[in-house]
Amino acid sequence: MNKHLIIDSVKCTGCGLCELACAINKTGQCQPYLARIKIWREETRGIFVPMTCQHCDNPPCASACLMNVITKDPATGLTIRRLEGCIGCRACQLACPFEGCSYDYLQEVIVNCDHCGGNPECVKYCPTGALRYISTAEALDLERSAEAARRCGIAGLVKGDRR
Amino acid sequence: MSKSRGYAGQILEVNLSNRDSKRNELATKFCREYLGGIGFNAKLISDEVPAGIDALSPENILVFGVGTMVGSIFPTASRTEVSAKSPLTGLFGTSNSGMFFGTQLKNAGFDALVIKGRAEKPVYLFIEDGELSVQDASRLWGKDSWETLDILRKQYPAAEVALIGPAGENLVRFACIENGYYDAWARTGLGAVMGSKNLKAIVVRGTQGITPHSVEGLLKVTGKARQLIESSPFFKPFKSYGSMNAAMPYGSFKALNANNFSQGCLPDWKEDFARPKVEELTHGHIACQSCIIACAHWVEIKAGKYQGLRMKDMEVTPTVSFGSGCGMSLEATVKAAEMGQRYGMDMASVAGVMAMAIELFNRGIISQEDVGYDLSFGDDDAILRLMDDIARRQGLGAVLAEGTMRAAQQFAGGEASAMHVKGLEIPMIDPRGRWSTWSLGILTNIRGGDHLRCRNPIENLRFNENKHDFQKERFGYDRKMYESLDMPDELKAQAIDLENDTVDIAIMSRWAEDLINLFNSVGVCIRPPVEHRIGPTILAEAYTAFTGIKISPIELMQSAERAWNLIKLFNLREGELPEDSKFPRRFYEEAVGGKNLDEAKVQEVLQQYYQVRGWDMLTGQPGEEKLRELGLSNLS
Repeated sequence: MNKHLIIDSVKCTGCGLCELACAINKTGQCQPYLARIKIWREETRGIFVPMTCQHCDNPPCASACLMNVITKDPATGLTIRRLEGCIGCRACQLACPFEGCSYDYLQEVIVNCDHCGGNPECVKYCPTGALRYISTAEALDLERSAEAARRCGIAGLVKGDRR
Repeated sequence: MSKSRGYAGQILEVNLSNRDSKRNELATKFCREYLGGIGFNAKLISDEVPAGIDALSPENILVFGVGTMVGSIFPTASRTEVSAKSPLTGLFGTSNSGMFFGTQLKNAGFDALVIKGRAEKPVYLFIEDGELSVQDASRLWGKDSWETLDILRKQYPAAEVALIGPAGENLVRFACIENGYYDAWARTGLGAVMGSKNLKAIVVRGTQGITPHSVEGLLKVTGKARQLIESSPFFKPFKSYGSMNAAMPYGSFKALNANNFSQGCLPDWKEDFARPKVEELTHGHIACQSCIIACAHWVEIKAGKYQGLRMKDMEVTPTVSFGSGCGMSLEATVKAAEMGQRYGMDMASVAGVMAMAIELFNRGIISQEDVGYDLSFGDDDAILRLMDDIARRQGLGAVLAEGTMRAAQQFAGGEASAMHVKGLEIPMIDPRGRWSTWSLGILTNIRGGDHLRCRNPIENLRFNENKHDFQKERFGYDRKMYESLDMPDELKAQAIDLENDTVDIAIMSRWAEDLINLFNSVGVCIRPPVEHRIGPTILAEAYTAFTGIKISPIELMQSAERAWNLIKLFNLREGELPEDSKFPRRFYEEAVGGKNLDEAKVQEVLQQYYQVRGWDMLTGQPGEEKLRELGLSNLS
């Protein structure tokens, strides 16, 4: 997997544009419930966390799937579903620790994020940079500088960070 | 699944007296003429509320009108308008709020919710995907709004809730309807209307989805709108600091409500409420549905008396109303806001009525015996105690809970300290310190003394001049700014004089009011970056792409104007008099910062405004020609 959808929940304002962009793009409907990305809203603590498929190396959803429709795409590293085999039992949804997949009631199947074929709509619409679609090298760089900042006691002062 | 495009397609009508409910299909003609939001509310209320009723009687109806674009991806489209006959002003009561309620209601299948009658005992409504149930709310009655929300949110996960707190139950005339934990449909006392109907809460959850007419068109116009908003010079300041931006310039103009409109600006306002102080308490930004600005802050008080207080706050209106209007400390304004939210009271109004009480106390008209304790500006504890008394209607609180206008009549000479227009407390800005389109808007507002229905989209806060007998304000921008304003060319040339660098207040007021009314109809936010850049042209494009109803920018403005005129007619029917459109006497007679208003000249601008509107110059009665033009001639 050479590109990653990185979520920085500290920057999320909870506006829900990612949900709407995803739903419109995938289903033609304005309905956040149909989105493959969802914001977990802890309203009374002022915390918003966008949640989507993390494309785990060893996905628990695949182990839970009764119909064996969930596999890892060897080329892209994404977790993919063969939807014609899905019976909508939602076992994968229960197994997922990230609430990373959602029930699409239009097709009556469980769906997950597919990075929109390399051009994720949610990232385009995110107004704060809480969602970013970056390469592995960039992602590691980000991790490194965040860790360095933590160790130097200047966490929150890194460029682009509004903590 | 909703078959119509853009609109959910139905209006839900509930009669709480007999628990009947009806679903009325939306007709395309109705949609075109009234758009949604405040437009729907204006039409439904003027048609169905009988003339001269008591606002707290079962005959009053409460309407939740969701803006047309709400639930689409259009930037800042989140707003829902709630209206009823106001128990505070006796006129059209209306208030607008964002967050996620409108999106849920629309996804549940309804563009508007109409509530009639009165339940025998406390109830709440649960609406989910076209289904409605009326549930017993005895266990919730008496609980504050946050406790109630904790219970309802647990019972109905992912639902949005509109509810009232104890103030609404006690029929405090300026009680508000809470929209979740930290937002509200606050002004004009709609919470008391809900309380009078024995309705504690409305829980809404919707999963039906809204199908846009043209997905491609909608995404295209959304991208364009977003680019426009982001390129506004007001965008960055608002994104970083929110609505508190206006507080400092207005402080330096001496144009703030300070100690019940007696000073213009408190002596230590600039230090105590400076940006670094505010930013010390706040972090993070919180958005409504689809908002790219996220003007709200998360506030946490880490030390001192109010340690541990955590909530969304530091919006300019409550902060200035409590902090400057009553002289409270910055931390105490957060506590006051918390109490306002929990009790469910309009903070601008409660601050207004308390500031009046303190002034009457200072003037010796109210004594310590009446209140039970001493009152003074800046005494946080006493003010918070008084707020508590008002919400519970205890002691003097019972009188003050009737609102500034009614309470002032209870005291000899009280009128002189009552800062309201048409019964609605004036918040925040003092027109004496800065005369502008915004200040005239307080006088012409169809809901009374309030600043949110008229604001010059290109207001220039660098200047504060009154060289032209109250008729003009300074434009102060370059040609590019002039050209970027979405306004018909001819009207723009009349409103803005580039040669003399002025804006005509009467013409701009009318345009700003119609524009904001349009925003409140289609459900878009009125924050300056949006108001500056988004105009009828792009909204017409968005409206057509979303709903499939072809409409021109001029028709769109006309629909907004129609609703405004309809509300004015409603107000006149309910007894609004021409002489009600006056500021409190203090604004004409006492100067702040060396300035006061010239009554005759203000009256002249008002008459010009009436003329621009096509209304009678003296009475403000919409003229026959105007009503014919708007298709309202059978109503005059």
